[in-house]
Amino acid sequence: MMQRKLKRPEVLAPAGTLEKLKVAIDYGADAVYIGGDAYGLRTRAGNFSFDQMREGVQYAHARHAKVYVAANIVAHEQDLPGADTFFKNVQATGVDAVIVSDPSLIETCVLAAPGLPIHLSTQASSCNYETLNFWQDEGLERVVLAREVGIDEIREMRQHTDIQIEAFIHGAMCIGYSGRCVLSNHMGLRDANRGGCAQNCRWKYDLFDMPQLGEKHELTGVNPDGKKEAFSMSAVDMAMIEHIPDLIEAGVDSLKIEGRMKTVHYVSTVANVYSAAVDAYMADPDHYQTDPAWVDELWKVAQRGMSTGFYYNTPTEQDELFGEERKRPRYAFVGEVQAYDPATETVTIQQRNNFGVGDQIEFYGPGFTHYAMTVEDLFDEDGAAIERAPHAMQIVTLHCPHAVAPGDFVRGLKVRRHAHVRA
Amino acid sequence: MAEIIATADSIEQAAQLTAAGADYIYAGEDEFGLRLPHSFARAELTDLVQAVHAAGKKVLVAVNAIFHNDRIGEVGAYLQFLHAIAVDMVSIGDPGAIHVLQKESIPLPYLYDGADLVTSSRQIDFWARHGAVAAQVAPEVPYGELVPLMQHVTIPVSYLVYGASAIHQSGRPLLDNYFSFVKDHQERTDRARGLFISAPHKPETHYSIYEDRNGTHVFATNDVNLFGELDRVHALGIHYWKLDGLFVPGQQFSQIVAAFAHARDALAAGQWTSALVADGQHVIADNTPVNRATDTGFFDIDPDEVK
Repeated sequence: MMQRKLKRPEVLAPAGTLEKLKVAIDYGADAVYIGGDAYGLRTRAGNFSFDQMREGVQYAHARHAKVYVAANIVAHEQDLPGADTFFKNVQATGVDAVIVSDPSLIETCVLAAPGLPIHLSTQASSCNYETLNFWQDEGLERVVLAREVGIDEIREMRQHTDIQIEAFIHGAMCIGYSGRCVLSNHMGLRDANRGGCAQNCRWKYDLFDMPQLGEKHELTGVNPDGKKEAFSMSAVDMAMIEHIPDLIEAGVDSLKIEGRMKTVHYVSTVANVYSAAVDAYMADPDHYQTDPAWVDELWKVAQRGMSTGFYYNTPTEQDELFGEERKRPRYAFVGEVQAYDPATETVTIQQRNNFGVGDQIEFYGPGFTHYAMTVEDLFDEDGAAIERAPHAMQIVTLHCPHAVAPGDFVRGLKVRRHAHVRA
Repeated sequence: MAEIIATADSIEQAAQLTAAGADYIYAGEDEFGLRLPHSFARAELTDLVQAVHAAGKKVLVAVNAIFHNDRIGEVGAYLQFLHAIAVDMVSIGDPGAIHVLQKESIPLPYLYDGADLVTSSRQIDFWARHGAVAAQVAPEVPYGELVPLMQHVTIPVSYLVYGASAIHQSGRPLLDNYFSFVKDHQERTDRARGLFISAPHKPETHYSIYEDRNGTHVFATNDVNLFGELDRVHALGIHYWKLDGLFVPGQQFSQIVAAFAHARDALAAGQWTSALVADGQHVIADNTPVNRATDTGFFDIDPDEVK
């Protein structure tokens, strides 16, 4: 039987900080995307200095992973001076590509940092193969598709273009075409295309018709619980974990996870899941099945409901956040394993969130390893028995009959909410 | 002298607009163009072009949709058709359509219109080097940024001086989805339905919202009216004054266009007066629909105020 030749897509994870960059790579990401101190859309993420960028690149390259720098603002006149220096400095750190959307910055990058690969950001809303060909002719290496593109459309694009295709597979979604939304500019003087997005789409609006100014005829309806349901434009999050074969077979080169603002818990969990799924499919595509544990795992860090966005159909009301919030188990990131002593079956944990005796915790690590248990004892650094570990970064030990490894993380189910957490 | 671009909702209105002083009639078909007052089928568009040319004026056709595969395949034939009927210029916002235009060597001048994305002279120059003969600058670019922008651009620019300003486009049927959820089926969610949303704790706001085949569109709470600022617009050297009559029907819009054309002529002749401004503002107020209001949008906002 002829063996199919499949190209393994990279799993591309967000990294808001150097710590998250290292975690994402340790947990299976083939590449990470980060922001510099300018020109990125996540002004509130922990963006990288050039020194941090250099350290991140060294860490990634030593593990055969790549680093991309997002410089995807839509620049105004006063933003452009200094852009050439920025791209030169980025190139000098050794990053593998920059993610840009504004042609003025693309051109600046080409001139200032020749040879530095450029990926077109999703902010450019690329939805057809001719657009991809335009950018390929411009010398770009890759296009990040608009989130509005369906799986059949990607298959068709692949037949018409050789440029690398990157597609979002997980995380929060803009409700509109990215880049074509300035709600935030008009409602709060915060430029959505320069990192100021206030997520106005998720606000609750009154909906009405108005024959003349001030004469409003309310059209706001009620939800199934009989309560007033304000109009909103808020999408549930994307999750393509159950459709990895479709993405690979369609010819997607890079599977992108959203979330440079997200936590270490989120980054590690989601990178772990998708790298496990891609590995499994590439190892044996004919017998591949979605592991329900992957889906369960993603729900542990889910902030909203999840859907497949535009991949299989135009989203309906089921793909938006209407009604009461859907109940689901809540997990918190409670710590990182520092050491494990098999002789005494003792694990040493650096606390990140309040937890204690009686709590259900779960260890998880790279390669999708898991072990769940109830905390039966807990000791401080001096070996004194304690009931809880309330202090941020506190070093504690507990008995764990299963071997875990340094670098594994610990999450807890329904931990107490009055935790003392240092940001 | 500046040229006035005015949208048309019919051949009859186009005749009024050209008589009122519009230099370009802006029209198109909603399969290819965004947020149009009327979707002109090809036969109707052919008649429109003939009528406008007979009046000695020009036609700018909107081909500025965000295209998916299904429609990009139709763009080449549509551009060939527009060239065949002697359309004077097209507006394009999707680089895929530019790729088609150039791949098929269709000799149609294009104005780059990437909506809110067109914000700097260097970006405009990029499109100029890719064949654009003009560019539509985003309404979110204030006067303070227009000054340096206009010093550096190498092709003429267009700027919205009157009309609704689109601030959001979604590929989702956001209104239908909402009404489905609350089980309140509405026969129409299109522009003619006249729906608005208001922001939380700001009941005075009224953002127009509607759906069409290009998705859901939301507009700024007030329409742009730069009549009182036209001396500064003129001094900037903005070549195309865009007036959008998406929400202003028929004769009302023609009256507004006439006021702007009169102002344009007065400025060119050095006859700009406060009395003329007052008269023009009266015309605009009298002809702006009763469920709409106007302001100067982002024009007078200090660029440093925008975070």
